[in-house]
Amino acid sequence: MRISIERTGGFAGIKQTNSVSTDQLPPEESRKVAGLVEAAGFSDLPPVIRSTEPGGDQFQYKVTVEGDHGSHTVQVDEAAVPPSLQPVLNWVKNSART
Amino acid sequence: MKPQATAICSILPPHIVRKLSDKPEMRDQVLRDLATTERLRGIRQAFTMSLLPSQPGTKHRTIFDGQKTMSLPGTQVRDEGGAPTADVAVNEAYDYCGDTYDFYSKVFNRNSVDDHGLTLTSTVHYGDGYDNALWNGQQMIYGDGDGKYFQRFTICLDVIGHELTHGVTQNEAQLVYSGQSGALNESISDVFGSLIKQWANNQTVDQADWLIGAGIFTDAVQGKAIRSMSAPGTAYGDPNIGDDPQPATMDAYVNTTDDNGGVHINSGIPNRAFFLSAKAIGGYAWQKAGLIWYRTLNGSLNPNADFQTMANATTTVAGSLFGQNSAEQKAVSDAWNTVGIAPTASQFAALSAQAKPGQQKAATTGD
Repeated sequence: MRISIERTGGFAGIKQTNSVSTDQLPPEESRKVAGLVEAAGFSDLPPVIRSTEPGGDQFQYKVTVEGDHGSHTVQVDEAAVPPSLQPVLNWVKNSART
Repeated sequence: MKPQATAICSILPPHIVRKLSDKPEMRDQVLRDLATTERLRGIRQAFTMSLLPSQPGTKHRTIFDGQKTMSLPGTQVRDEGGAPTADVAVNEAYDYCGDTYDFYSKVFNRNSVDDHGLTLTSTVHYGDGYDNALWNGQQMIYGDGDGKYFQRFTICLDVIGHELTHGVTQNEAQLVYSGQSGALNESISDVFGSLIKQWANNQTVDQADWLIGAGIFTDAVQGKAIRSMSAPGTAYGDPNIGDDPQPATMDAYVNTTDDNGGVHINSGIPNRAFFLSAKAIGGYAWQKAGLIWYRTLNGSLNPNADFQTMANATTTVAGSLFGQNSAEQKAVSDAWNTVGIAPTASQFAALSAQAKPGQQKAATTGD
């Protein structure tokens, strides 16, 4: 499974892309990530999740998960990230940092 | 094709919703959104009521520390009149909010972002290494930056002015944050963010650097700022973070679904139109070009305005303020033509005369 996150927008408007393949991870970590994606109900999330609140300079995320059964992409505003999806975003951010 | 907002009316006040629902092509969308809007408005009002409003005509800043979490607002660390703290981010947020409040008050006779003395609430140290500053509809939020490419986001006066101006736009033209109206929303924040910096430093058009976010990048980044209003697309070029993607003219307009339809990208076009207007007029940019843009924001834009509408409206307002065919109106018209948009002033003459009741106020050109 490969998880890719493209972050756009924000005050600076600078695009940042992070991509992690679970094949390269220790089995235990790989299972943990798969669990986070499943707990997020990722394959059932709509392709676009917009925030209806006013504001400016929030990030926009495009999250793609590619697995054995195909690929699904969700574009979501920072203010509208479902609480169940946040752990996936955090995991990719932290794993890209190290 | 520019992306459409899914719930365009959620940020509209009732009088505009009523006006829109008179248009047959808008009616269905308006009615669909209305139920959602009323529910969200209830939530927002409940939140706003929890913040104590200031006395009319007074400045009230309050600063919270997020302590690297994403909980809002965090712990209150400084309130209006309180002594400086040992935390530079707290003091920057406080001082630069003060400059922004003073600019709007003294130059445009505006009492805070809502013109009714709204308390200016900021949270600093939001998140862990968070690379952003934002306005969430109710308050400002500042991250510390990752330290590798970005420093703390309170470091620049124009960034704080930019964020607070999102609050002004939210209370005036309410430009939908998507596509061209979103790029105008962004551009207006850059325009007034830059003007606040110029005003605080007493700089003329020729003395100003016309950069947005100069000082946010660490020394590791090859770039002088986040954006350049005078030369969009030239602010940075770095092997790690890429090249400044801003176009300077309409023929380089970027069609994308990223960034709400490129709101931080295509804002380069109206940014440069403002710079060229101010440059041609000369002197202090806030006195004439800034006044033209402020009056336009304050009276003659609808939430879905595009670049052509902005060009027409600013040209019309320039004519109303300084005279038809005046040097100021010609400066604005020439500026838009240079970026690839030919303004037509006449068709908007009637529109600009219809200011929103109680919102068109005398603005001084002093200070």
